[in-house]
Amino acid sequence: MNPLALFQMVGLFMLAVGLYGLVMRRTLVGMIICLELMLNGAGLSIVAATQLTHADVVLGQLGALFVMGLAAAEATLILAIVLIVVKRFKTPQAEDVSEMKG
Amino acid sequence: MEILATAAFVFYALIIAAGSLMAVASTSLVRALVGLVAALFGVAGMYLLLSAPFIAFMQILIYIGGVCVLIFFAIMFTKPAPDANESRPHPFRKRFHALLAMLVPGGILLSVIIKGQPESFPVPEDVGPELLGKGMLGPYLLPFELISVALFIAMAGAVLLAWHKWGDK
Repeated sequence: MNPLALFQMVGLFMLAVGLYGLVMRRTLVGMIICLELMLNGAGLSIVAATQLTHADVVLGQLGALFVMGLAAAEATLILAIVLIVVKRFKTPQAEDVSEMKG
Repeated sequence: MEILATAAFVFYALIIAAGSLMAVASTSLVRALVGLVAALFGVAGMYLLLSAPFIAFMQILIYIGGVCVLIFFAIMFTKPAPDANESRPHPFRKRFHALLAMLVPGGILLSVIIKGQPESFPVPEDVGPELLGKGMLGPYLLPFELISVALFIAMAGAVLLAWHKWGDK
């Protein structure tokens, strides 16, 4: 087996498990945890794809770094949104806040 | 050396597998977060194995030191109900949907990975942080600046959202 394919499979495993959890979880915070798992699989895949082939190495490492930065930004925003949802609806459950008024 | 690398890869892969399964299957959110931290450490080890030590340390610094602490705050602030809403058994239909959501993209991507294997080196290239810094100030200056803008907007937005008082309206 190609070494690159092995690393890609680990990244794919994280993506698949994260997708499963994203559908299964009932609380909003549990969904964030699965989301971070998926993003990490993407980062691993990007770095492996450039470190082990002829592609530009700097591009891959910086891409992974930018993914991390965006994940940090997204986590702060989601935390603030979750806090407001909990304050307003008095529940962290995703199902309870998914219905619209109209 | 080759055996050592393989052993390290298997070790990290096991950590990642166990951590991600714990993050997804655990009924307690704090335990799920511990599983996420384990998986993130495993990915940091994978980065070291790919000879990208800078990215590995950034992974530990940003993800484990920053994002996980933030998620822990979120867990503590939202205070899940004591009757553990995650531990209620899931209906069969939801389980089926989740399996479908996992297997369809997973199967497609797996077939792509197995069929189209590009030529790859067994030993990764070694690139130090100095080259990354040159890249950030050279060809990749625009994304570097944009990410700082995105971080600033996220921070300002989080503060604005958290400060808004709902009773005032």
